[in-house]
Amino acid sequence: MPARKGTAARVTRAAAPLLWLGPAIALVGVVVIWPVVVLFRTSLQHFTPNGFLIGSAGMDNFRALFDEPDLRGILLRTVAWVVVVVAVTMLLSLALAQLFNQRFPGRRVARWALIAPWAASVVMTSLVFRWALDSNSGVVNVFLHDLGLVKFGSNEADWLGRPFSAFVWMMIVAVFVSLPFSTYALLAGLQTIPPELHEAARVDGASPWRSYRSITLPLLRPAFLVAALINVINVFNSFPIIWEMTGGGPGHETSTTTVFMYQLKQAYIGESAAMSVINFLLVIIVVLVFLKATRWKDQVN
Amino acid sequence: MKRRLLGAVSLALTAALTITGCGSSGGGGGTNGTATLKLVAADYGTGPENTSQKYWQDIADAFHKQNPKITVKVQTINWNDFDDQVKTMVQNHNYPDITEGDYFPDFAQAKLLYPAKDVMSDSTFKNLIPVFANLGTYNGTQYGMPFTTSSRTMFYNKKLFTQAGIANPPQTWDDVKTDALKIKALGKVGFGLPLGKEEAQAETLLWMLGNGGGYQDNGKWTIDSSQNVETMQFLADLVKSGATEPNPGTKNRTDLWKQFASGDIGMINGQGALIPIIKSGGKLSDADWASVPIPGKTGPLDKTLGVCDNVSAFNGNGHQAQIKAFLDFAYQDTYQVAFDKEYDLLPATNSGVQALSSDPVFAPFLKALPNSVQYPNDPVWSTVKSQIQSSIGTIVSKDPKSVLSALQQTATKGS
Repeated sequence: MPARKGTAARVTRAAAPLLWLGPAIALVGVVVIWPVVVLFRTSLQHFTPNGFLIGSAGMDNFRALFDEPDLRGILLRTVAWVVVVVAVTMLLSLALAQLFNQRFPGRRVARWALIAPWAASVVMTSLVFRWALDSNSGVVNVFLHDLGLVKFGSNEADWLGRPFSAFVWMMIVAVFVSLPFSTYALLAGLQTIPPELHEAARVDGASPWRSYRSITLPLLRPAFLVAALINVINVFNSFPIIWEMTGGGPGHETSTTTVFMYQLKQAYIGESAAMSVINFLLVIIVVLVFLKATRWKDQVN
Repeated sequence: MKRRLLGAVSLALTAALTITGCGSSGGGGGTNGTATLKLVAADYGTGPENTSQKYWQDIADAFHKQNPKITVKVQTINWNDFDDQVKTMVQNHNYPDITEGDYFPDFAQAKLLYPAKDVMSDSTFKNLIPVFANLGTYNGTQYGMPFTTSSRTMFYNKKLFTQAGIANPPQTWDDVKTDALKIKALGKVGFGLPLGKEEAQAETLLWMLGNGGGYQDNGKWTIDSSQNVETMQFLADLVKSGATEPNPGTKNRTDLWKQFASGDIGMINGQGALIPIIKSGGKLSDADWASVPIPGKTGPLDKTLGVCDNVSAFNGNGHQAQIKAFLDFAYQDTYQVAFDKEYDLLPATNSGVQALSSDPVFAPFLKALPNSVQYPNDPVWSTVKSQIQSSIGTIVSKDPKSVLSALQQTATKGS
């Protein structure tokens, strides 16, 4: 039966790549897809604070979550957190990448130094900043005190005690740890731009600013979009900075949704999972909107 | 050929990852009596030189020498994270064998713990001081085993009081406010008020007691009672007047104790454990500070808060016999006294109390212990406690009544 033999051979041939793809697919299934499935399931279940399943919760977890009086503030704060941190990071990175693309003595050392905030653990960086901001002996306050600007132990020196100033400082730390990655992504982008283009522009009499706007920026767009998108996701999910510096407190006044999710987990596992589902959907929506708004396909392809 | 090799290698790697991922569970229990016990304890130390890791490791080593089949693995966790981490272990069903630190009544309710009598010999069990027995009891059976205790008093800086022209320590809330403002005028903090995550539930209760309030009355939750609302209103006003450090909701006990020890705070509620911090600070001599009963609304408290930290024995790994052997060993007087001398806390055993009752440092605190007020004995307490820790600091920025009502709602809703 030649026909059947042909089919068998075709199936074998078609299945052959599976042998190679299989492990990767299995890995993605186990470490990515499965947790998402469990997450959605947990958000619809009723758990005791000790992790015992005692039945279905229907939509109760979501109802309880939306009844949290602090949720509105937390959502608004999360939006501010992502927008401000990513915008400032990208702007600074553009400047830094430009700088590091120039030839100057010590460039190699400077490029290495830029990696430091990236290489250091985020928890460590956050702790360093937390102590630097200590209201009695932090180095920031010692400096400001010597300039006669703040008094030790005063409300002004208590940067992490006041929710607003604490949040601003945490944004600064978030920008600090996000800079290296974005700068390197943009630097890589800059190096793909052929120098002839700038040369031609110069011959045509374009000013440096004009050639930056009309040549560098458009050609940098794909690198910029990739870096910005990855930053959006990272900053949205950022946990250690806020957790180490204020713990989201007082109350939930410096929490983002990611931190709030963890705070809920102590006693309300299902509700915490519901928050996590919302986070998951938010990230997907934000990413889709981002891709749409930046006409991703035209740019990156 | 090369590519095929690469594929084989990656396949092997993936397989290895999957296998190790599954293989890490399972405890150290053996059939021939060998076992590894996982002990998780709160760290009472203020730094690497007096960490509780050392205290427990010494006991574990001595115990292992006598019982070579049982190894005790010690893990100590900083107080700020202790509750979170123990809770997470339990939620993931990754049970320790023994914990020492905060006690969770809901673990007993969920049948995760051995009754005290099953993991202690009769003589060890009977030696536990009786005041705290009720706190660890659920449905008539005692699960929580007191390991160390403390009673609270108010510490004040005599030097600052003299400088501010104050003759006597405060007796009432009004005194506290007046004195604190006088000390603030010296450029120091008047009253140190730790409403941050570390132990806000203790500070809150101490103030509530001063106005005849509390978390519970006869087993009924009374968090949003009118006395408590009045108390929190007073506290919020005290903070707004500048008599305390700024933003107390973000300040932890240990940090403020260290500040008291460096002479920057006039008054603070404390316990024995503050004494070694003062001594190691080197700024205050013994004559520069004193401790007195905590001021209430109209006069000093006659009953103070007595806190005990408990040992719990988890049944998740089935190490009952080994836990029993270890606890009988660890509750010996030498270790009780060593612990109390190291951290200036109080013992939890009758013989330990006797051994220390003539010591001038411990005597006043020991005397207050028998008629002290304790935390609620209720399974929902651990949830309420963590909400107090995260939210009580917001009485300054929000309406105190709404903060207390939210807590009351959590308490009465159950889990």
